[in-house]
Amino acid sequence: MERLLQIVNTILENRGKNIVDDINPDTNLRNDLGFDSLDLAELTVRIEAEYDVDIFEDGVVMTIGDITKKIM
Amino acid sequence: MRNILITGVSRGLGLEIVKSILEEEDTVVYGISRSKSQGLVNLMDQYPFRLKWMSYDLNDVDHVRARIFKDFIGIQTPIHGFVNNAAVAYDDIVTNLNYEPLLDMYKVNVFTPMFVTKYVIRHFLLHQVKGSIVHVSSISVHTGYKGLAMYASSKGALEAFSKNTAREWGEKGIRSNILVAGFMETDMSATLTEDQKNRIYKRTSMKTPTTTKSVAATIRFLLSDLSRSITGQNVYVDSGTI
Repeated sequence: MERLLQIVNTILENRGKNIVDDINPDTNLRNDLGFDSLDLAELTVRIEAEYDVDIFEDGVVMTIGDITKKIM
Repeated sequence: MRNILITGVSRGLGLEIVKSILEEEDTVVYGISRSKSQGLVNLMDQYPFRLKWMSYDLNDVDHVRARIFKDFIGIQTPIHGFVNNAAVAYDDIVTNLNYEPLLDMYKVNVFTPMFVTKYVIRHFLLHQVKGSIVHVSSISVHTGYKGLAMYASSKGALEAFSKNTAREWGEKGIRSNILVAGFMETDMSATLTEDQKNRIYKRTSMKTPTTTKSVAATIRFLLSDLSRSITGQNVYVDSGTI
């Protein structure tokens, strides 16, 4: 979760948004973190580089929990 | 260093694009083609460190990420530009249209380039690069020639893809443009008779073939920072086709 938080904050920083202190499995990417489709693309890419998993390849990803299920 | 990915580097225009880009000393070219030509071998001897090459058949839509981006370039190497140059021509009149050759052409000219674009943009995002994409299209899209309907349709698809890519990724500083090339004296037009060629050249303002040098230099410009404000455009290098 720590590494995922770093990735999330990298994306928020790149977009000039405020970083967050913590995330949990229920954190919603769009509603809680304010990610738009381009942010989600960057998230996909950074997770792919780290874990070699394309989180959007099959199905919709809404929350942090959806991501951890795919990379664990 | 600026790293540029180019397809179809073994012959004709592709070879000329590689030459032009390597004239800039801070560039590295990642070249792809099915096979190595003597011209490419000579260029690799001349630039042993700045010209890298891998054999890849663009008919293969499925291994773009694994082979080109992971094995060849490497996820940790930033890419700054992509030139979609490789293409095959399926020349025939429409009433003779067959599915298999049509599909083969679309794989090489459209489907695989779309997947390369997908991963190029992902690469740009990962490395925070304001990269430039250039697709090579053909004047046949805009003027029409007998026997080129299928080929021109594949290039028209790329033009629409480029325009929309530019719109979608512009806010990240990522650009996409089309180089609309006129008829050149390359292997691709070698099957045309002299008479056919002359009729084509007569339809240009300059009455001459388009030179690969002029096309390559314009692509080099579109990849460079000098073209920073140009995106979503068709740039015509075509001896003024009318």
